[in-house]
Amino acid sequence: MMHTLVLFPFFALIILNLPLRVIFRRLSFWVVFALSLIQIFLVFFPQNAFWGTHFNFLNTFFRFNLSADGLSMVMLLSIGIVTLTALLVARQMITDSDRMALFCSLLLIAMAGMNGAVLVRDIFSLYVFLEITAVASYIMIAFDKNIFSFEGAFKYLVLSAVATAMMITAIALVILFSGSTEFYLINYAIRASAHTSLIVLSLGLFLCGFFIKAGLIPFHSWLPDAYSSAPAPVSIFLAGIVTKTTGVYTLIRIFISIFGFNGQSQRILLLAGIISVVIGAIAAITQKDFKRMLAYSSISQVGYIILGLGCASSLGIAGAILHIFNHSVFKSLLFVNSAAVETQTGKTNMDEISGLGEKMPVTAVTSTLGALSCAGIPPLAGFWSKLLIILALWVGGLHVYAVVAILSSVLTLAYLLSIQRKLFFIKGNSEENSQIKEAGFGISLASTLLAFISLATGVFFPFIINSFIVPFGKIFGRF
Amino acid sequence: MNTNNIFLPIIIPLIGALCALVSFKKLRFLLESSAFVIAAVNLILAVILFKENISLNIPWVLGLEFSLRLYHFSAFILLSVAGFGFLVTLYSLRFLRGKEYANQFYGYLFLTLSLANGAVLANNLILMLFFWEGLLLTLFGMIAIGNKNAFQTATKAFIIVGISDLALMLGIALTAYLAGTARISNIHLPLDTLGSIAFILMAIGAISKAGSMPFHSWIPDAALDAPLPFMALLPASLEKLLGIYLLARITLDMFILTTHSAMSTLLMAIGAITIILAVMMALIQKDYKRLLSYHAISQVGYMILGIGTAVPVGIVGGLFHMVNNALYKSCLFLTGGAVEKQAGTTSLEKLGGLGRNMPVTFICYLITAAAISGVPPFNGFFSKELIYDGALERGKIFYLAAIVGSFLTAASFLKLGHAAFLGKRSEENKNIREVPLSMLIPMIVIAATCVIFGVFNALPIKYLIQPVLGEGLLEGHNFSGFPTNMFLVAVTVIVLIAAFLNHLFGVKKSGSGLHASDHIRNAPVLVKIYDLALKRFFDPYEWGLKFSRLLADISWAVDRSIDWIYDKFSVNLTYSLSRQISALQSGNYSLYVVWSLVGAMLVFVLFFIK
Amino acid sequence: MNLHLVILIALIFAALWTVMTRSLIRSAIGLALTSAILTIVMFALNAPLAAVFELSVCAGLISVLFVSTISLTHPLSRQEILQHMKDRLTRFWYLPILVAVCAIILSALDIKFSLKLPAHETENDVRVVLWNLRQFDILGQIIVLLSGVFGVVILFREKNKK
Repeated sequence: MMHTLVLFPFFALIILNLPLRVIFRRLSFWVVFALSLIQIFLVFFPQNAFWGTHFNFLNTFFRFNLSADGLSMVMLLSIGIVTLTALLVARQMITDSDRMALFCSLLLIAMAGMNGAVLVRDIFSLYVFLEITAVASYIMIAFDKNIFSFEGAFKYLVLSAVATAMMITAIALVILFSGSTEFYLINYAIRASAHTSLIVLSLGLFLCGFFIKAGLIPFHSWLPDAYSSAPAPVSIFLAGIVTKTTGVYTLIRIFISIFGFNGQSQRILLLAGIISVVIGAIAAITQKDFKRMLAYSSISQVGYIILGLGCASSLGIAGAILHIFNHSVFKSLLFVNSAAVETQTGKTNMDEISGLGEKMPVTAVTSTLGALSCAGIPPLAGFWSKLLIILALWVGGLHVYAVVAILSSVLTLAYLLSIQRKLFFIKGNSEENSQIKEAGFGISLASTLLAFISLATGVFFPFIINSFIVPFGKIFGRF
Repeated sequence: MNTNNIFLPIIIPLIGALCALVSFKKLRFLLESSAFVIAAVNLILAVILFKENISLNIPWVLGLEFSLRLYHFSAFILLSVAGFGFLVTLYSLRFLRGKEYANQFYGYLFLTLSLANGAVLANNLILMLFFWEGLLLTLFGMIAIGNKNAFQTATKAFIIVGISDLALMLGIALTAYLAGTARISNIHLPLDTLGSIAFILMAIGAISKAGSMPFHSWIPDAALDAPLPFMALLPASLEKLLGIYLLARITLDMFILTTHSAMSTLLMAIGAITIILAVMMALIQKDYKRLLSYHAISQVGYMILGIGTAVPVGIVGGLFHMVNNALYKSCLFLTGGAVEKQAGTTSLEKLGGLGRNMPVTFICYLITAAAISGVPPFNGFFSKELIYDGALERGKIFYLAAIVGSFLTAASFLKLGHAAFLGKRSEENKNIREVPLSMLIPMIVIAATCVIFGVFNALPIKYLIQPVLGEGLLEGHNFSGFPTNMFLVAVTVIVLIAAFLNHLFGVKKSGSGLHASDHIRNAPVLVKIYDLALKRFFDPYEWGLKFSRLLADISWAVDRSIDWIYDKFSVNLTYSLSRQISALQSGNYSLYVVWSLVGAMLVFVLFFIK
Repeated sequence: MNLHLVILIALIFAALWTVMTRSLIRSAIGLALTSAILTIVMFALNAPLAAVFELSVCAGLISVLFVSTISLTHPLSRQEILQHMKDRLTRFWYLPILVAVCAIILSALDIKFSLKLPAHETENDVRVVLWNLRQFDILGQIIVLLSGVFGVVILFREKNKK
């Protein structure tokens, strides 16, 4: 069933770009829209008989080794939600229908790449699908074709090339000591192997490669430039899901499915996590550009996820996974809000904007919800995942990390609330603001949906913990 | 008699207080008559109860017992309280006429009487503390209704008395813990280490109530700011009675104070110091009421000295002095009130020659001033002789202090009388008349009592005071009658003559009665001490204020610096860090690659560090 | 082994020259040289198929690069060349150091290169391997190619119009 998630975008891409494109051009938005809805639906009803009976013929043709556990399911859900959001915002912001069709094609490529990366159980295939996602991302960042977006794309390209080189070397080393690329075979080989230095070398290279992709400090330098120079829908897509899939998911996957934890790797994860949490938050405080600030905030939040992973306990990993989902939701939401502000005022420098609350009530309310969720204020979703991560740190005896994580969340609150106040709640220049209206239907719909998800996840957390978190614990029980 | 009658001395004034507090200003007659009736009923009740011996124990909340005990000592204090209460009420009827705060004053007055009766009757330390703390509130209230500065003075009194009450509370807790019971009549503790601490703590409560140094400094301020009847009632008589009553109870019953005990010496030292310092301050005052207030402090010294001697003659003297002091000091304050009422001021510089205008007041003043100075045959003479006797038995230095105090007391009253009633009369004062009868009667009654207690001193000593000590302690002595030690009498007479000569010398030197004591004021060393004292250099309250201001300044500074750390330092640090990090983001991608490679190096280094 | 070492060192020098040289054309030549040496390495490591692929792809790629570079560049003045050279050297000063450090680390790790590949892969024909075992990767490669095409379409097509 799972291969449909890769094949459908692929087929859609081919069909939409056949010579009859003129006909399909208008359809492309609805195709991607339908595909992302199907993806969300599939996550909630994976055993639905419809898929099993009507699409069985694909299995006879394609023999893919795919499987989905809880982690993959969460990632698939996030991918669906963020793709949908980016699509809605793009429809609002990209007016030219030709370019919109191209953007939809890129979205389909990235979607196929990420779905594949999430579902594969083979290290080389993982690499290939990461490359798909990355290439699609470069093009998307440069989509506006101005000097800044080219610069951002180029930086991402260079740093990604370094990461790719590291990963491919690491894969070569893995093949060297295990003779295989399947996750479980590598895992057996590692347990039986005597080549400790080779294993360490490959794990180290993997770590560095994924750190670059995830944008952890000091591997983060491409991230603020790329996020802030990309067009708004692309920023949403990049921050919401691309870096999470290519960097964070892959990190979690190689630890839980291939390498397992030991003292050194745990220490590296914790250090990288805590440095990113603190420095990301501090750097965010003085940013003038809304999107750039959100980019640093993203670094900080990814740090939390890595901290949760670094606990090496099922509680910590459950917290990390939940935080991936929550972060996808609230960071996409905040980027949607930044897109709304950008389209309505034409500015991104926060010093020049103020007092939009009256004119843009939906944006104001939803962005406040997003900011509070990001800062970890109950009962919003971000609170629970941060709580799980900090609890896991505390239970694991990592008290210093726990305390620093809590303090940094105060910093998070500081920069997010000050910007909320500045943008929306203080009195602004009424003459300048007189022409401003609420953002269009697509953006408002996207932000309302995301805010609702963030709120609902938090409020109904007691139900979610039974259906999502406890199963995670079972998955990772073996480590 | 029904044992429940023991509640009446508490309940009747309470009813009076409620009546007074709710009465309207227009119903002045009703207010005054009800006040008079209640005070009279209270006095009659005290007389009726005088010969009774009632003990009452009722289980109360929290395992405490509501325990009251009426016996000869408490009945005696009860009678005194009721008597002074009645006389002050009688005096106030006229004095307070037309004052705004009259109903409040009566309310507080009866509340004070009720609480004082309760404190005297209480046979349980915790119950007593309850009444005692209640008195603190009425004290505050009564001072606060005075003039503009009164609130500040009331606060001062509240803080000083409150702190000493805190000591009393600790002492009570410790005593109850040591004795295993809070029933006063069951407590007999030796003065070992813990016992001494408990004794000192309770004694602080007692002597501070009596107004001894170093807990005195609110009294001279209150003399100026509070209503005058308050001064006649509380610092002059009631507080002395209560304080010395408690001191006598703890020295005689609750703790076993012997002549060998350091506590005895401590008490005597406090007494002696209080006598000297307070009377020296009294000597230089230029205000009628303020001068009297310092004497109110000084006389407490005699009582504490007498009781502190721990010999029967001293204790009898101390208790007798308590009664005497209450009499003549309240009468002196009442004369002060009479002068204030008629002349409109109590500043000695504006008074003078009033003796001819107010002859009755002057005579009352003469009698009571002679009594306080220890002139035979007035009551003060006999109690002082007894105290001298006790002090001499314990140490010459204490006797010397008492004698010097006596000399200065006489000198200051000569000065006061000269300045107020004799000398030149200013033009404004020519039309001054004698005060009305209702104000005269209390003065005359008290002055007559002074004479009676002097001439027939056996009456109070035999029937009121000696039973307090009990036969065991008296060992068959009888201290009534004329003093037997002729040496002491001779010294006293010499001292009094010396004081008179000193006054004449001062008058001749300075030319007026007011400045008769200036040669002492300007003596070489004393002048500096006096200057400092007038600047309140020796006032512990001022030191406390300075200290607490210092503390407040320090706390403020600490608070500011903590605030600075939160408000400025951390914020600026974060901002500058943030800018530094942003500045690192230069946009040079080769630099970015270098960072990533450095990060990779770090990862590998971390891998190989075990 | 000594021969391998010499070839590897040559490969590294060629790659460094490619990155650090001052003109684009020389850089393209360096790239061709690098891939040629890489082909030799692959032959030496007994992977003729990979070597052939590498050579053909590189030949195509490099000709594309040559054309595009020549069309994009204009001759530099003397001063510009000097400036550019300096710039390159300052920008990539760390690369030789990095290579040296990596070499030291790898030699210090004492990795035993036992190049015995697992049995089933050596036995299978490469076509069988590609279709049966790496089917999903092939799909991925196709999508990568497609996205490359999209990149060119999106980023360069309209520019040409203008």
